[in-house]
Amino acid sequence: MSAQLHPVARTADALVDVRNVVKTYKRDTQELTVLNGISLQVPEGEFVALMGPSGSGKTTLLNLVAGIDRPTSGQVIVAGTDVAKLSESELARWRSRSVGFIFQFYNLIPVLSAVENVELPLLLTSLGKRERRDRALTALKVVGLADRSSHYPRQLSGGQEQRVAIARAIVADPKVLVADEPTGDLDSRSAEEILALMETLNREFKKTIVMVTHDPRAADRAHTQHHLEKGVLAG
Amino acid sequence: MKFLPFIFKHLKRNWIRTGSTVLAMSLCIFLFCTLQTVLHEINGLLEGTSANRLITRHGVSLVFNLPLSYAGRIASVPGVKGVATTAWFGGSLPAEKEGAAEKDTKADEGAEATTDWSKFIPSMAVDSEKFFPLYPEYQINPEEFRQYMSDLQGAMIGRKLADKYKWKIGDRFFLESFIPPYRKSSGPFEFIVRGIIDTDPVKHPKTDTNLMYFHYKYLYEGTGQRIGAGTYTIGIDDPEQAGTISKAVDALFENSDAQTHTETEQAFAAGFISMAGNLALLLNTIGLAVSFTILLVTANTMSMAVRERRTEIAVLKTLGFGSAQVMGLIVAEALLLGALGGALGILGSRGLILFLTKAPVIKDVLAGMGLSSLALPPPVAAMGFAVALLLGLAAGFVPAYNAYRSKITDMLRTV
Ligand SMILES: Nc1ncnc2c1ncn2[C@@H]1O[C@H](COP(=O)(O)OP(=O)(O)OP(=O)(O)O)[C@@H](O)[C@H]1O
Ligand SMILES: [Mg+2]
Repeated sequence: MSAQLHPVARTADALVDVRNVVKTYKRDTQELTVLNGISLQVPEGEFVALMGPSGSGKTTLLNLVAGIDRPTSGQVIVAGTDVAKLSESELARWRSRSVGFIFQFYNLIPVLSAVENVELPLLLTSLGKRERRDRALTALKVVGLADRSSHYPRQLSGGQEQRVAIARAIVADPKVLVADEPTGDLDSRSAEEILALMETLNREFKKTIVMVTHDPRAADRAHTQHHLEKGVLAG
Repeated sequence: MKFLPFIFKHLKRNWIRTGSTVLAMSLCIFLFCTLQTVLHEINGLLEGTSANRLITRHGVSLVFNLPLSYAGRIASVPGVKGVATTAWFGGSLPAEKEGAAEKDTKADEGAEATTDWSKFIPSMAVDSEKFFPLYPEYQINPEEFRQYMSDLQGAMIGRKLADKYKWKIGDRFFLESFIPPYRKSSGPFEFIVRGIIDTDPVKHPKTDTNLMYFHYKYLYEGTGQRIGAGTYTIGIDDPEQAGTISKAVDALFENSDAQTHTETEQAFAAGFISMAGNLALLLNTIGLAVSFTILLVTANTMSMAVRERRTEIAVLKTLGFGSAQVMGLIVAEALLLGALGGALGILGSRGLILFLTKAPVIKDVLAGMGLSSLALPPPVAAMGFAVALLLGLAAGFVPAYNAYRSKITDMLRTV
C-alpha cells in the first residue's frame, strides 16, 4: 500500500500520471473494487509492461489510461490532460489525437481493406482524401506491410493483422500507445515480430508504450515492469 | 460524406441480407404507391362531381327502373331547378364494327354476340333538353348541340373517348348494351357523332370525358317504350339544401310501389365505386400489415447488423468516433436501405401502372371505371419515398440508439 502514499512526488516528467485511482463496478447490489488506490507514473519515452494474474485489473487500468473509461475516484492525467474532467465527446476527440490502442484480437474492421482500416482514425481529422491515404500508406510502410495495403483482414495472417492494427494506432501520431496483450493471440514467431516492432516504435518514433501482458518474454522487452495483484500495484 | 463508402461497404458485405431487405422494402413501397394511385384517381372522380346535383335511383337497387312519371313530380319539389331522366347504357362496340350496317338482316345474331369488353364505352341515355343545362362544366359548341338535338341518333362524345376512337363529327358507329332490357331485337343501336364535349382543364380538371351521351328518347323508342328511368339527375340551386331536398323527394314516393333513394352526385358516385372503395380499404389494410412486417424485417436486419458489429462499434468509439457519429452511421445505413427500397418500389409501381394502362383488355376495363388516365402522381411517389425513409429510420433507430449509449468497455468485454 506504500505506493499510494506519496503520489505527487515523481510526477514532474511523467507523461502518464495515475494518481490514487479507485475503480469499482456495481454488479446488482454488490460492489466490486477492481482498482484499489493505484498510483503509477510513466515518463515520456518509457516502455512499460503491466503484468498480473487474470482478473487483477490490468485491462481496467489500461482502459483508464487510454481514456475509454473513467476512474471512480482519483485522477488520470495523460500528457497534461485530466481525462476524467473531459466530457464524453471531448474525451472521444482527445482519444483520437492522443492515444493509440492495440487490442489482443486486432479488431480490424472486416469490410475495410488494410489501408482503409489504417485510414479510419484520420476520417476524424480535417485532412483531405489524398493526404489521408498517403499517411495511411506511410504507417503501413512503418509496420512493413506496404505491399498488403489492399488486402482485407481475412486475407492476412494474425501477425499481419496485428501489424495493421499497430499502423492504425500510430497513424494519427499519438504520444501514447496502449496495448492489451498484443501478442496474446499469436504464435511465438509472430509475437516476436510484434514485440520488435513495438520496440522500434518506442526507440525510433519515441512512443510511450503501456503494454499489458501475461508473457514474461514480452515483459522482458519493456524497460519497466509493474505487477498488479488484486487491484494494487505490487512492485 | 467521407463515411458513405464505409456504409456502402457494410451493405455490400452482407449483400444477400441487404438485398432481401431492400426487396421487402420495395414491395411495401410498391404496394403503397400503386394503391395510393388508385385511391387518388377515385378521389379525383369524386371531385369531378358537383354539389349542385342530386341523383335519384330506385330505393332497392340501381338495377330497377323508376316510373317515368316521377320526373314531373320531382320537379315540383321546392329548390329543384331541373330534372333529367337518364339511363346508364354501358354499351360496347359490337365485335365487328365495320360492315355491321350491311348486316342488318342478320342483326338477330348480332344482338346475341358476346360482349367484347375491350370495346366498352361508358354511355348514358339522357333527356338531353333537361340534362345538359345541369352540366355547365361541359363546353359544347352551340351549333353542334343544335345538330345533336335535331337528330334522334345523335351522340355527344366526350373528348377523351373521341380521341380514343378517332371519331369526328358525322361518324357512325354501333353500340350494344350489356343490360338485357336495353337490347333490341333488331340489332345494335346506331349512332352518329354530332358533337364533342370538352371541359376546361383548369377549372374542371377532374371532369371525365371518357364517356358519351345520347337521347333517352332513342333508347325508349328502340326498346318498344317498355323501359323506365334508370336514375333522375336533379339540379338544385343551393348545395346547402341537398339533404333537405333529397328527403323531400324520397318522401314523395314513400307510399308508392317504387320508392326512391336520393343522394348527392358525389355520394352516388362513391356508392357506384364503393366496390372499388372497399377493395381499396381491404388492400390498404393489407398494405399496412405488409408495411408493419417490413418494419419488423428491416428492424431485425438492422439490429442483427449492429449486434454483429458490437466490437466494431467499440473500436470506432475507441478510435475517437463520437457516440453521435456512430449512431449517425447506423441511422444512415438504415436510411440508405429505405432509400434503395423506396426507389425500387416506386419504379416498380410506375412500371406496373404504365403496363396496366397500356395492356390490351385491362386498359379498357380501367377506362370503363373512369380510370383511363391512371398515372403515378409525383406527390404519391414522394410520399412512398418518405414512407420508405421513415420505415428505415424507425428500423434503425433502436439499434442506433443502443450503439449510441453503449459503453466501450462493456462492448469489448462481451466478445
Ligand atoms: N465493466 C465491468 N463490469 C463489471 N465488472 C467488471 C467490468 N470490467 C471488469 N470487471 C471485473 O473487474 C475485474 C478485473 O477485470 P480486468 O479485465 O481488468 O482483469 P484483467 O487483469 O485484464 O484480466 P485478464 O488477464 O483475464 O484480462 C474482473 O473481476 C472483472 O470481472
Ligand atoms: Mg485483460
